[in-house]
Amino acid sequence: MSNSLIRVNNLKKSFGGLKAVDIDDLNFKSNELTSIIGPNGAGKTTLFDLISGFQEEDNGEIFYKDKNITKSQPYKIARLGMVRTFQLTKVFDRMTVLENLMFAGSSISNDSLLQSIMKLSKQKKYEELLQEEAINVMKDLNIEQMSSSYARELSGGQKKLLELGRSIIKKPDVLLLDEPLAGVNPKLAEDLLEIIQNLSNQGITILMVEHNIEAVMKISERVVVLAEGALIADGAPQEVRENQKVIEAYLGTGDE
Amino acid sequence: MKLSIKWLVTILITIFSIYLVFALNDEGPLRILFNLLTFAGIYGLAAIGLNVHFGLTGLLNFGHASFMGVGAYVTLLLIPHAAGREGEITESGLPFLLAVFIGVIAASLFGLLLGLPAIRLRGDYLAIVTIAAAEIFRLLVRDLESITGGVYGIINFSDSLQKYRPIFLENFVSNYELNPSQIWVGLLSWISILFVLLILRRLTNSPWGRALRAVREDEDAVRALGKNAVWLKLQSFMLGAGIAGLAGVFLAFNYGSLQTTTFVPLLTFYVWAIMILGGVGSLSGPIFGSIIFWVIISETDKLASLIFENANGQQLAGVRFVLVGLLIMILMIFRPSGLLGKKEELLLNVK
Amino acid sequence: MIDQLGNGLLLGIIISVASVALSLLYGVTRIVNFAHGEIIALGAIVTLFLSGPVDSKILFLERFSPLGISFAVSAIIGVILCGVFGGLLELLLFRPLRKAEVGNIAVLVVTIGLSIFIRHLYLLFATGRVQNFPLDLERRQTYLFIEMTPRNFKVLIAGLIVMIIIGLFLTFTRIGKAMRAVRDSGELASVSGINSDNIILFTWISSSMLAGLAGIFQAIINDVRYNMGFLILLLIFAGTVLGGIGTSFGAMVGGLLIGIFVQVSVALPFMEGHTEAKNAVALAIMILILLFRPQGIFGQKERIS
Repeated sequence: MSNSLIRVNNLKKSFGGLKAVDIDDLNFKSNELTSIIGPNGAGKTTLFDLISGFQEEDNGEIFYKDKNITKSQPYKIARLGMVRTFQLTKVFDRMTVLENLMFAGSSISNDSLLQSIMKLSKQKKYEELLQEEAINVMKDLNIEQMSSSYARELSGGQKKLLELGRSIIKKPDVLLLDEPLAGVNPKLAEDLLEIIQNLSNQGITILMVEHNIEAVMKISERVVVLAEGALIADGAPQEVRENQKVIEAYLGTGDE
Repeated sequence: MKLSIKWLVTILITIFSIYLVFALNDEGPLRILFNLLTFAGIYGLAAIGLNVHFGLTGLLNFGHASFMGVGAYVTLLLIPHAAGREGEITESGLPFLLAVFIGVIAASLFGLLLGLPAIRLRGDYLAIVTIAAAEIFRLLVRDLESITGGVYGIINFSDSLQKYRPIFLENFVSNYELNPSQIWVGLLSWISILFVLLILRRLTNSPWGRALRAVREDEDAVRALGKNAVWLKLQSFMLGAGIAGLAGVFLAFNYGSLQTTTFVPLLTFYVWAIMILGGVGSLSGPIFGSIIFWVIISETDKLASLIFENANGQQLAGVRFVLVGLLIMILMIFRPSGLLGKKEELLLNVK
Repeated sequence: MIDQLGNGLLLGIIISVASVALSLLYGVTRIVNFAHGEIIALGAIVTLFLSGPVDSKILFLERFSPLGISFAVSAIIGVILCGVFGGLLELLLFRPLRKAEVGNIAVLVVTIGLSIFIRHLYLLFATGRVQNFPLDLERRQTYLFIEMTPRNFKVLIAGLIVMIIIGLFLTFTRIGKAMRAVRDSGELASVSGINSDNIILFTWISSSMLAGLAGIFQAIINDVRYNMGFLILLLIFAGTVLGGIGTSFGAMVGGLLIGIFVQVSVALPFMEGHTEAKNAVALAIMILILLFRPQGIFGQKERIS
């Protein structure tokens, strides 16, 4: 009915008495790179949690591709092509980098107990293709030398890369990136930004929560500002930067 | 290279343990050895099941005794047996293999039931729930005397299995004054171990095994990648519980009678000790862990009766439990990877 | 059913005191202590050893003769020794594990090993048989409408007083506040200037003293046996869970409710002839609570999945 890919209606969530998210209406268009910013406790991660199904809202509705996903389980939402990352990186510590990626790329039927017991040649072929794909992703992200390392041996930045790689191996339509640059050294942050930009250019819709304002302003097509759970500004980076409310609520506090 | 040293040490310790049985027992070392090997086979099988839960999937299952119990009770109730105070005899029954099959499936389904809390609960809470559920099972079995025989248990069921005992076994044991029925049970449990290990080796290296390990590492990430973590956990619960159910059947036939007291939490802790000793997450670890464990137990019993002359049977059994407790603690503190566990995959930093 | 209410209150007060102890320890250290039951038994065993008649060879192996000290003094020493034992556990076992950053799951397994180990040491060296404190038999009397012996009634009152003291302690003293702060924040960072190691040590000591007291209560009301703590451990878990994990007040009420429930359920019509299964019902309630109201009756909503 509209050209919006994700639509949030009258969404409310509070913890105890504290309002975490209270958004009347928010749309994300296909193929756009949107950053969500706001001071700590503005409800950015909670918004991600609600959209990706990891938390249940008190009120409101969320649509994805005009499908109501409000009550959907996280894994079902992910299967619709919307994949998220986490603020605190969640790699599979005691699996190798390659295994991390292959698990992420593997299909439901390939993972099934039945196929795995029967060990058909079909599965073997699928796994070979999967491995190739995983190697390609590692090459793109420049972590192929870590292929057989356990994920927990990676540096913080490399873990971010791995998590990103895991999210894109299945070519999702939407990526929700929760602070992809947090704790990453400046050099790697540059690389990551470029990768994110490339993904966007390839047609993936990206929503990104990020504290690094410089980076946000550089690559975002649109910036959404939250404060105390509510939407206070929404527009092109330049507009938002000059918005008085934003300056007061966020930039004005001298926070970064 | 490192791997092979680990294996070498494990095999040497195992051989040394078996040697100890001969060195310390002047009379009938072979009988003692076969007795403990039977227990080792049964408990090893149970530990392999537990390893599917904990080692592979990270599920903190402390209700293992109940899976063994369900397997044993369902199977025995389906074959000819005598139960209860009066020893009420049930003469008819299903074909033996079918009964075992149903018993294993029942244990699996009980695993599914016990796995349901695992959908919502993380580690330590799951531990409490599973141990409580296992106790509920045991209390109910004890309470439902009209069906399960209650505290009087079930007897006279061994024929169903022993009638299949091959002749060559008879010939073999008669030379050494061994107990043929026990050897038959032991043999079958070790055959089952081999069979189960073959299947599990396939599975752990498969995409399914990879998925379970991912669940073990981080469930949220698994869900964020579009995988149904709940279903994976339930599958793991069912598979491990089924294996434990089979072990329970063997346990019953080894004792020749079935008592509710067999399935107290201590049974679960035995299996845990064996799994940790063998190596959490190591497929064949429980085999070696179990043999060494039972040599320790069996020699401790003898030692105990020498040291504590006027102790009663319950207290003598206490000596072995003192050792089991100590073993669990020492391993967990100083060598949590056990004999064959991978240090890199230790479940230590699990919160 | 009224008959059972008295028994329920008595079982309830035992579980309640023990649940508060367990919940305090869990709140501050995040350790699910399966050896809690053994500390409970220790209180009873030490008291029995101190107060038993000198000439009675009541203890196993007939190696130790009881000391025949007055019962009250014995009980006090019993509680103190439990505190010392808890402190030693922290200093010699759990603090080193914490410093080595051993995970919670591993520590949980260690407490299980510890529980099996200590329990069977009791079996070997202390009480192979069921025994009783050297106390005179008493006739039951009626209090309001509930019948129990005067001694058990005193236990009940003493238990309630202890609860009040714990409540006041947690609310008003500096270290009590610090313990709550550590518990609520879930962080072990230094709070209000008190070193977190000391808070944990203090928690171990006080939790163990409470557990020992619960054990003495249990032994007065019932008897002394080597596995007395382990027998009620799951009920203690149930009490803690019912009230809300990590709230001391919740653990008090939860423990009391579980005790009452277990005993009163015996008198329910559908339980007729199934008294053996009474604990099963309490455990089933615990599981249901964990699944559907994990924060318990009084707990704050906490993420436990």
